[in-house]
Formats: sequence, C-alpha cells, structure tokens
Amino acid sequence: MSEFQGCPGSRMMDLRHNDEAREDVTGAPVGAVASELRQWPIQLHLVSPQAPYFQGADVLLAADCTAYAVGGFHKDYLKGKSLAIACPKLDEGQDIYLEKLKTLIDEGRINTLTVLTMQVPCCRGLVNLATRAVSDSGRKVPLKSVVVDLQGEVLSEEWL
Amino acid sequence: MTTYLNSPVKEVIDHFPEVGEILADYQVGCVTCGVGTCLLKDIIEIHHLSAEDEQAAMGRIAKVVSGDGVTTATERVAPELAEPGEATASASADRPGAAPAGRVKAAPRYSPPMQQLVDEHLLIKRWLALIPEVLESIDVQAAEDRQLILDGVDFIRSYADRFHHAKEEDILFKYFDETQAIIQAMLTDHDKARAHARGAADAVESRDKDAIAEHLSAYRALLGEHIKKEDEILYPWMDRDLTTSQVGELFRRFAEVDKTSGIDVGDKYSRFVTRAEEIVGKRRERIQ
Repeated sequence: MSEFQGCPGSRMMDLRHNDEAREDVTGAPVGAVASELRQWPIQLHLVSPQAPYFQGADVLLAADCTAYAVGGFHKDYLKGKSLAIACPKLDEGQDIYLEKLKTLIDEGRINTLTVLTMQVPCCRGLVNLATRAVSDSGRKVPLKSVVVDLQGEVLSEEWL
Repeated sequence: MTTYLNSPVKEVIDHFPEVGEILADYQVGCVTCGVGTCLLKDIIEIHHLSAEDEQAAMGRIAKVVSGDGVTTATERVAPELAEPGEATASASADRPGAAPAGRVKAAPRYSPPMQQLVDEHLLIKRWLALIPEVLESIDVQAAEDRQLILDGVDFIRSYADRFHHAKEEDILFKYFDETQAIIQAMLTDHDKARAHARGAADAVESRDKDAIAEHLSAYRALLGEHIKKEDEILYPWMDRDLTTSQVGELFRRFAEVDKTSGIDVGDKYSRFVTRAEEIVGKRRERIQ
C-alpha cells in the first residue's frame, strides 16, 4: 500500500529532479512558441456553445491541469481545435457543463470532441461528463479520451 | 534487399517460403492471403509491429533472402546487406505510427466510423456462416429455395456491396493513396465478390445447383478472408493515419449514407439474415 493515504489528485509531487534530464533532451533554447489558441473565452462556464468558432469544429475539452503538464499542449492538442477547459473536481455547476456540452453537440454541430485529462482519478469525471453529453444528445459525435501523466506523457488515447 | 522490399509479398514468399513462416511468427498472415500484392516493405508498417519486433522480423528476413543461414529473433538487418545508398531495412523506432517497443498485439479499438464498418461486417458474417447449410439442403426446383438464394444475392448486392462497400470505395479509400497495394487488393476482392454474386444469380435463373454452390462457396471464402483483412489489418492501419478531424468527417459522411440509403436498410437486411437463420435452423432440426 502506498504511504500517501489522501486523494491522489491532491498528492504533492516534486518533479524538479527531472529538470537536468529535460535540458539534455531539448538542447539549445528554441525561442518563443506560437500560441494555437484561436478564441476567448475558454472556461466552460464562460464559453458560448453558439459561438462561430464552435460550429462544425473539432473541440478539445481539457482538464485545467493538462495545459501545465503537457509540454506540447498547443502544438499537439490545441492546434486546429476550439477549446473549453474545466475542472471536474473543483468547478461548481457540473449540470450546467453537461447542458453546455449537449448544446455544443446539437447546435454547434461539432465535428469531434476530444477530452484531455490527467491520470488522477478525479479527472475521470470530465470523461464521464462528455460521455453522458454525447449519449444524451440528439446527434452522435466521435468522442476521444486522452489521458496524460504528471509529466504530460500519454498514458492512453482511445475513441470511446 | 531493396529488390525484395519492393516486391509483392506473395512473390517473396514463393521464392523464400521461410519468409512466410517468419511473418507468421509475428501474426502477419500473408501466407494465406489470396492476393499478396502488398509490397514486403509495406507489410511491417501495415501490421503495426512494435519497433523491436519489426527490427527482429526484418533482420530474419534479410538473412533468409541473402542466404545467410540461421537467424535469431534479436538480430538487426546487417548494414552490409543493404545495397549501396540503401538505408538498412531495420526497424525504425522513429517511424511515425510504430507501435511502442514490447507492445503486445491486442484487439484493435476502432474509431467510430471504422467501428461502424466492423459492425456491418457482423451481419455479413452471419449470412456467410449460413451458406454451407443453405447449399446442402437447397432444391433448385423449389421456388421457395430459389427465392432464398435470390434473397441472399440481394443481400450481397444491396447490403454488402451497395451499402457497405460503397462506403469504403466512395468515401473511406479516398482519404488514402488508392494506388497502394493493400487498397488495390481490397478493390480486387470487391470486384471478385460482384462477379460471384452475378454468377450465383445467373445460376438460379438456369437452375444450376452446382454453379450456385460454386459461386456462393467462393464468395463465402473470399469475403471471410476479406473481412478478416479489413478488421485486423486495413482498418487499424487506416485509423492510425486518420486525423481526428478526418474521423469526424468520415463519421458524418457515413451517417449521410445511412440516411440516403433509406432508414430501414440495416433493419431490412437484418430481418433477412434472421429469417434465413430460422429457415436453416428448422431444416437442421428436421435432419436431426
């Protein structure tokens, strides 16, 4: 049994020991990285499902923490997609989230929905929310789940 | 080695049967493929071997085609086997889409549009499974039996071909280079299947029991193998190449085909297969 008994999603992790190895891999400074963000707002409570950038779009529903964990978040996940971010553990109004996702599917007629979450158990709630939104919607849409670990490595990537 | 890498796998196996055995060791079933036009160099990528397995398999194949005797599963392609200017045919861990090292081949999980095609295969396979018993008990002088065959041919033409194969030929394959050997092999299968459906229909017309059996049995063997290739090789390979956006697009276009084909095409032919199963079941009971 692990020494830590609390919530895995709140467990303190010191990742500084990886700094040296990372520098070795990346080599010389690469300069500024262009943002792939093409909309605002991005928080799920604030976005409008009727916004033009959601119409027929490939939508990324990202758990808040993923943008910090995944080094290539913009290049690997955000590029070409419209974005909504949320935290399934701390955010209130999950029922509003559900309705908003259903509206994105039915009225925004989105092309695909990709849910990017952390490996921590509480993040599973965001996948469940998206799954429920797809099953409760009048339209069907391909739903993909990508789970990353605390260092941003992909643990699983699958169509649901 | 380059010569063999750019040769159809069937030709390579004909020259070096041991290559077929090596491929079989990695669950690459080219030996039983009736077409075998895929190039050897494409085979490894299409089957998504892990980088380690790819390296080992290519190393063993290189040894065989160079007449270098016994091989082990851990050897790389020796650089000396490569022709001048040729990159060694060893596994490239950097190759996009290479399976992670040590990965065990698991049942593929398809994208939603591919899953739809796999699900359509299930109904086709139910009809294929009935064919031997249908042929065993058929009386070509009986109108009811002739109708069962004609309904089966209609299922092949309308569901398996116009509905299902059309999704592949008119939509899915367009996302890929259709000159690739593996896609050409699938198209050849489709054409052969159409010819057998025509042959079976003509044979019913002339009440030629042997010809009915010949065409439907050949169709069954062909489609059984064809579906296996698509489910296990083609679709997973395509899924690895499709972007998320393309998956969404395919899903939408398939839904449009379902809609324009008539809302009941699936139901209608599902009812046919169920009815055929009942008929065969009753005949089986009578025999027992």
